[in-house]
Amino acid sequence: MEQEFRIEDRMDGGRSVITVVGEIDVATAPQLRESLHGVIAQGQATVVLDLLGVTFLDSTALGVLVGGLKRCRELGGELYIVVTDARLRKIFEITGLNKVFPIVDALAEVGAP
Amino acid sequence: MIGEPEAVGTETLGDGDRVVLTFPARVGFDIEELEDLRLAVGELCLLALQGSDARHGDLQLEFTISGEALDISCTLGGAAPQSGSRDEDRNAADELSEQILYALVDEHGREQEDGSVRAWLRKRRKGPLA
Repeated sequence: MEQEFRIEDRMDGGRSVITVVGEIDVATAPQLRESLHGVIAQGQATVVLDLLGVTFLDSTALGVLVGGLKRCRELGGELYIVVTDARLRKIFEITGLNKVFPIVDALAEVGAP
Repeated sequence: MIGEPEAVGTETLGDGDRVVLTFPARVGFDIEELEDLRLAVGELCLLALQGSDARHGDLQLEFTISGEALDISCTLGGAAPQSGSRDEDRNAADELSEQILYALVDEHGREQEDGSVRAWLRKRRKGPLA
């Protein structure tokens, strides 16, 4: 059964954290874009994107992440990706994005701002 | 040989990739290959949509199984040429879509003819298909 798609954003230890649950594809990527751009527009240059609850993502999702990363870096910040699922990590690897994004296994690995 | 067209509305594209795994599963692709194909079929549909202004319409998916290869084509009918500027995120996604297909399938391509866009892929297995 398909998992319900959900996005939440919060402040955690001075960091802006966006948590996504479910599948990020052409149908749901616009919601992620809106959330990500919204957080950055509020002045958060560094954002942590928690994908631990994500079960699938495609190029549409990656496009949103790349756009978010550009915005963060233009402001002198960073976009951290928290992901452990081997299949999701494979998608980052085959697109070379594992060398572009700082990818970590847990939120705790992202240093304090 | 199995060839079964299936219409998938662009608004339900996110669901189409799950439905279509029935066919490769039936002929013995393993779990990892099915996961690759699920992602690849989604990217194939996006490839068909590239360069088009289509927001509504039908995507027709066709599966052909022969020998050790599975061929999948995705046809978007009534595809108007792209007009105006494109979303920046979508441009990045188009490049990523190509990279994903290069990595997951053996061959892929896209053709335009008579107002339709057809994207296709070929995935081979090491052994013969069931």
